[in-house]
Amino acid sequence: MRKLFAFFRRFQIFLLFVALQFIALSNYFTYSYFPRSQYLTTANNVTGALWETENEFTKYVNLGNSNRDLSFANKRLREKLPQSFIKLDYNQIKIDDTLYQTQYKYTPATVLNSTYDKANNFLTLNIGSKQGVKRGMGVICDKGVVGVVFKVSTHYSLVKSVLSTNPNIDVMLEEDGSFGLLKWTIRNARFANLSGISNDLPVKKWGAVLTRGGGGVFPRGIAVGKVYKVLPIEGRAQWDVQILLATNFKKLQNVYVIKNILKNEQRQLESVITNEEDHE
Amino acid sequence: MNKIFNHITRFVLLVLVQVFILNQLEIGSGILIMAYPLFIFLLPYELNLSFTLLISFVMGICIDAMSNTFGLHTSALLLFAYMRPLVFSRFASQEDYEMNKEANIYTLGTAWFILTFGTLLLLHHLWFFLFEVANLSELTYILKKTILSTIVSFLVCVGLQIIFVQKPKDR
Repeated sequence: MRKLFAFFRRFQIFLLFVALQFIALSNYFTYSYFPRSQYLTTANNVTGALWETENEFTKYVNLGNSNRDLSFANKRLREKLPQSFIKLDYNQIKIDDTLYQTQYKYTPATVLNSTYDKANNFLTLNIGSKQGVKRGMGVICDKGVVGVVFKVSTHYSLVKSVLSTNPNIDVMLEEDGSFGLLKWTIRNARFANLSGISNDLPVKKWGAVLTRGGGGVFPRGIAVGKVYKVLPIEGRAQWDVQILLATNFKKLQNVYVIKNILKNEQRQLESVITNEEDHE
Repeated sequence: MNKIFNHITRFVLLVLVQVFILNQLEIGSGILIMAYPLFIFLLPYELNLSFTLLISFVMGICIDAMSNTFGLHTSALLLFAYMRPLVFSRFASQEDYEMNKEANIYTLGTAWFILTFGTLLLLHHLWFFLFEVANLSELTYILKKTILSTIVSFLVCVGLQIIFVQKPKDR
């Protein structure tokens, strides 16, 4: 009888273990794909504030580099200003430009916390829904693509970086415009893969890889990286293209969150496709 | 009372060290240093196992919430806590534990510490990386990561133990 009780006690503990294990693992597996609330992430207000305090101390370490990067970005932009050009044709009449309308707006943000060595890597930014950040917005830095906003709280947001299982950003080769999806299977912070490039055309080494802007998340032509290695895939008419990423994920300080003003319009238009398929 | 305070300090310090220092040290080859299991390891031996499981659940959640792992650390730490009594009874007799109130490197010896803590830490790391990568076709990568990380974590834990655990005066 005593043995039986001892067995039940053991079994109770085992059940507790299984129950707690179930909570932890189910949370882990559902979260990686469908985030429900931000309570268990660094985007929650308590842990976000803790990371902000940490950033107060550590940001000075990278100040030199970030300043240099920002001044280079400024230089590039300054060169595009009208003042930087000499007018060659004096017969032109200046008119208000109605040919161009702003499509993308950029919100600067500071990276509070980031990783690059895990199986899925995330960044915490110091801006959130109060600053107009929404799930699914693109994030870039001066050098290139960083990731996509994954979860937003009032003052912080969590970004799933390119260094995660399925970044699925549509990118293209600058040279011939052939496009594919960005993948990260190599588990190295400097490299990523490009899938879906058919092997009937050669791919040039060190050719630039840019965003395609198809989903309306990133503008067309943001740098992603350069072609580093082109390998054949056995049994498929595709290249396995390895990319040297433009962004250095080990030293990420200042990023921009991209808002696409026309995204809803594009969505509405494209939703017609699925609706029509339903009717037939 | 003093003992409980000691354990709480260890808990807070280990969570902070893990999140703000060790998680940030990405030293390459996929090495991730995890030192927080040391807290569970140093809990009193006679403590109720269900209670130990609940403590490790709370600690895991604290670390998960601050490193965007959504429950992965919790899961691995629960395994560590559950296996602790089993591994403990494997490598020393009941009397050894009853003689010493706290089981650590000083009271039960270096060989014992390497065996028990090494085994538990290896299990913990293997479980963690198995679920982190979640792809059995990358088994060699998982094993490489596990073994390298376990070695580094173990050394860090030995260092931390020197800070946390007072050496008993020579008898």
